[in-house]
Amino acid sequence: MKYAVKTTILGVSALALSAGAAVAQDKTLTINSFGGAYEEAHKKCVIAPFEQETGAKVQIVTAYSADAFAQLRAQKEAPQFDVINFSGGQEIVGAAEGLLAPIDAAKLTNAADLYDFAKTNLAGGEGPAYSIAAIGLVYNSEKAPKAPSSWKDLLDPAIGEHLVLTDISNGYGMLSFLMLNQVEGGDLANIQPGLDAVKKLIDGGAVVVSKSPEIQQEFAQNDAWVAPYASDYAFTLRKAGLPAKFVQGAEGTPASYITTNLVANRPNTDLALKFIDISISPAAQTCFADALRYTPTNAKVELAPDVAADVAYGADSVKGLIRFDPKAIEANRAAWVEAWKKTIAQ
Amino acid sequence: MSDRTENLLLILPGLLLLALAFFLPIFQMLALSVSGPDGPTLQHFARFLGDPYYLGVLWRTVRLSLVITLICALIGFPLAYIMARVGPRLRLWLIVIVILPLMTSVVVRTFGWMVLLSRSGLIPELLRDLGLVKRNFALMQTETAIVIGMVQVLLPFMALSILGVITRIDPRLEEAARTMGCSFLQTLRTVILPLSLPGIVAGSLLAFTLSASSFVTPSLLGGSRIEVLAASIYGSVTQTLDWPFAAAQAVILFVGVLLVLIPYIKVTGRAHG
Repeated sequence: MKYAVKTTILGVSALALSAGAAVAQDKTLTINSFGGAYEEAHKKCVIAPFEQETGAKVQIVTAYSADAFAQLRAQKEAPQFDVINFSGGQEIVGAAEGLLAPIDAAKLTNAADLYDFAKTNLAGGEGPAYSIAAIGLVYNSEKAPKAPSSWKDLLDPAIGEHLVLTDISNGYGMLSFLMLNQVEGGDLANIQPGLDAVKKLIDGGAVVVSKSPEIQQEFAQNDAWVAPYASDYAFTLRKAGLPAKFVQGAEGTPASYITTNLVANRPNTDLALKFIDISISPAAQTCFADALRYTPTNAKVELAPDVAADVAYGADSVKGLIRFDPKAIEANRAAWVEAWKKTIAQ
Repeated sequence: MSDRTENLLLILPGLLLLALAFFLPIFQMLALSVSGPDGPTLQHFARFLGDPYYLGVLWRTVRLSLVITLICALIGFPLAYIMARVGPRLRLWLIVIVILPLMTSVVVRTFGWMVLLSRSGLIPELLRDLGLVKRNFALMQTETAIVIGMVQVLLPFMALSILGVITRIDPRLEEAARTMGCSFLQTLRTVILPLSLPGIVAGSLLAFTLSASSFVTPSLLGGSRIEVLAASIYGSVTQTLDWPFAAAQAVILFVGVLLVLIPYIKVTGRAHG
């Protein structure tokens, strides 16, 4: 279906070109977004302001990071995206393969205000992070006997059967697990300590879910107290009327970086850079934080107190952010998922 | 145009559809399952068959499918018999009641079961209030939950398969058996049951194949700790992107279902031959 739509669009734009309407082509930007509430926020916070400011049209292809990256790879000879958004570290692989173009920081008016970790390799083609999903502890503020404050607290037998773990086939689940592994003394070369901890937790009655809606179900119906997960999801739970709060674990906060990247070999580089610039602007990031509780990466962002309470906010909070090497995760994913499955199997 | 060519022409669209939509993908799956980095290999099968974890997944799939099929038959047979023997108006209502669940999506019904079976759901609460189970008892994420959910999903297939056969059994056969001194249960056992066997076999096959390959209900009700083969295939395709291994698992499932089908084809082949 998606492809059908795309081919139609290709056909139409080819027609437009042949009709000599090359101008219209220049004023259209193709991006990907992640669907659902995210795409709504994306339209409101970034796309609408961009269209207003430039008069260009933005065309959205709904595709998650992995799918979008697969498309980008397949279109290597004739890329169709101008700007591509990733949440799973695909930009590191994409930049290494030359699919993404280097970004000149001087051309982005907002680049100077970004925290350093959000612009580590612009010159190498890895686009800036415009929002961050911080992974910490989501807990039930009414039922949990005491608020958790560190990753070690997950191992407290008192939580026992009220703990919800997320399968590592899920991106956030993977990051939570790697953090638990690190706290237990493991690293990316050795996940056994993490697996041993998970085994202990499961023997103590912890529940394992594989998709985020199931976390909501556990909180709503199964008397769940604590779940290591993302800050934006605590907000989703609260919107559903559940007494959920988010806290960063004392040992550190693994983060999932959402980046916006410039695709190589496309004609409208300046327009694409303008789009990226708006994505990392304080206004857009404030809007994202308000709508979905993503952590901003621009130091100039000022959040209302109730929003700030739900995210990793401010220079001190973001200092604790940890980024596990996406390349190592990608290389080991299959083996880890299998080891995890065998650990949790009954 | 001779009869033969006419027949061929008539069968052509169906054959083409089968070839394109069934045989070709199955062949591709077979090819994929033996593909390795350097030429054909059986390593994916070896990995599955040499690993107690995956053998456990296979055994659980077969075991649960058998249990589900058996329960469906135990409930479906009396249900079908009653449906066949009541008046036409009541039968219509019963058939509507049996078919009605098929009108809603399996996913929606499964979520319904999730609500009923969860820790604070209706059924565990009731059992706790009756003092039958401990305080922390939950049915969610157990094999029992999978069986309950799957039986509800598959019961219509079983009941309707048996119904079709029982309605064709002449009621006078039953009357004859009763006049010869059979009790009601003896009549059931000696007359109805043997005659409705084709329906029970067909329904069981449907239930078995559908539950062996079902994926949504087991993964939602059983959770990720109770893996069945279909969910394992799904994981290999979407999560670890190990397609050759996924294909090998699919071939194993396919062969397993085929092994169940072969005796059936032999039995019914004799009946129709």
